[in-house]
Amino acid sequence: MPLSAKVLMIDDDADCRASVRHLLESTGYTVVEAECGKDGLRRMVEHRPDVILLDVMMECASEGYSVTQAIKHQDCFSDYRGIPVIMLSSIQESPDELFPMSPESELIRPDRYIPKPVDAGLLLGAIESVLAARKPPAV
Amino acid sequence: MSQVAPSAPVPAPANPDATAVPGAPATIIVIDDDRAMRLSCEKILAKSGFRVQSFESGSAGLEAVSGLKPDMAVVDLKMPGISGMEVIARLHEIDPQIVIVVITGYATIDTAVEAMKSGAYDFVPKPFSPDELRLIVKRGLEHRRLVLESQQAEMERELLRRRFVTFVSHQLQTPLVAIHQYLDVLRRLDNPDPAKLHEWLDRCLTRTDEIQAIIKDWLTLAKVEGGQLVHQRAKVDLTRTIAEILKTYEVLAAAERITLENRMPEEGCPVVGDQNGLSVLFDNLVVNAIKYNRPGGKVAVSVERTPAEAVVSVADTGIGIPEKYRKLLFGEFFRIQDAKKTPGTGLGLAIAKRVASEMGGSISVDSEVDVGSTFRVRLLAWREPDEAQETGRA
Repeated sequence: MPLSAKVLMIDDDADCRASVRHLLESTGYTVVEAECGKDGLRRMVEHRPDVILLDVMMECASEGYSVTQAIKHQDCFSDYRGIPVIMLSSIQESPDELFPMSPESELIRPDRYIPKPVDAGLLLGAIESVLAARKPPAV
Repeated sequence: MSQVAPSAPVPAPANPDATAVPGAPATIIVIDDDRAMRLSCEKILAKSGFRVQSFESGSAGLEAVSGLKPDMAVVDLKMPGISGMEVIARLHEIDPQIVIVVITGYATIDTAVEAMKSGAYDFVPKPFSPDELRLIVKRGLEHRRLVLESQQAEMERELLRRRFVTFVSHQLQTPLVAIHQYLDVLRRLDNPDPAKLHEWLDRCLTRTDEIQAIIKDWLTLAKVEGGQLVHQRAKVDLTRTIAEILKTYEVLAAAERITLENRMPEEGCPVVGDQNGLSVLFDNLVVNAIKYNRPGGKVAVSVERTPAEAVVSVADTGIGIPEKYRKLLFGEFFRIQDAKKTPGTGLGLAIAKRVASEMGGSISVDSEVDVGSTFRVRLLAWREPDEAQETGRA
């Protein structure tokens, strides 16, 4: 897997973005930043990243899930459904807990969870493994 | 209709005793197989302004309960069919908070005691006068009102607790996460660029300040709530207090080219309060007025006085507060979405409000989006004891 892969990082905390950006760039990745879910979806369409790092709790407690929901359910994003999503969260919140009544929680689940504060080694390992597992895009 | 039915239509309840929930007349059901008893209960209670409906059997009464949602049930203990005791149990299954008063046939205290053991609130022995029934019903409804109020208070506490958990996990954890990640990434770098190292360490310090501010405000709020911040109601000169606060923030304001205007009367403005409490209160308002202002804006502090009150205004030329947020503004942990880029703990105005009310005052806000906000603090004016009082005391 080429290390020049593009990572889209959606997080409302500028400091969290700065440290992770540095970590990823020094490892060879290209990084695109977004500071909210809406901005994130826009950047995803603009830059077509290879992997998305997504913070759960931004403006609202579950904003991250509205991003995964948009990607998986809105037709305009259907081209982007194959992009792996790694969710970063400082509280243990799976969609089952946040939306206990939703039968569709499976559909908004990201590919990976990583707890915040991010352990650098764990994050790099997770990005490598989701990129490796990614299905080759249909040509 | 029989001769005991009220001849005039029942008037709307003017009487506050007739309500369990403010604004609505209490609904009472009467379950008794004796028709004369039902009619007289209906008449007595309707006259006091209650909504009354009576039923000749336990099963008929129970059937109607879900639809009527009564506040109270008056139940005869001795009835054919379902017994009074069973009616009590079934009523409580439907609504655990319903107040039940039992009518006992032969003034048999034993059955009444048994009924109260199984959840009835009170009993009324036959025969009873209209006043006796009204008194017991009034007491019962007062009991229900208290139960409902404490239930409401419990729900509000639970909501606050949940908000608190969200607050701690987000606002306190966010800066910690940022610091941790900077340090973790720095640790991995063999030769960090000195400029970058400096920049990141500065950011770490800024974020620890953020945590400090949250903890400080949190403790202040706890102190106000515990009655430890506002100690006394003494004479405090607001002109001096405001001048000192404005001086503290000259540098902060100058950095944003904000003009601070002190329009407090030069001869002084004595109010009733606690020096420390008033400093905390106006410190919060002045800081907000600077933080949520625009570059080149203005903050003006002025006062309108009557013999009884001093109303201090802290006015800014800032972003303003949309109408929908104004009620929530003084709540704990509340922050307006658009203002989240400005650092803040979401506790400053909650503190200001508590402090004002501890000193017998109040706080309110007027605002226009993109024009500015004016916070008004109403305080008791200090009045020197007059000569008559002095001599009277001597």
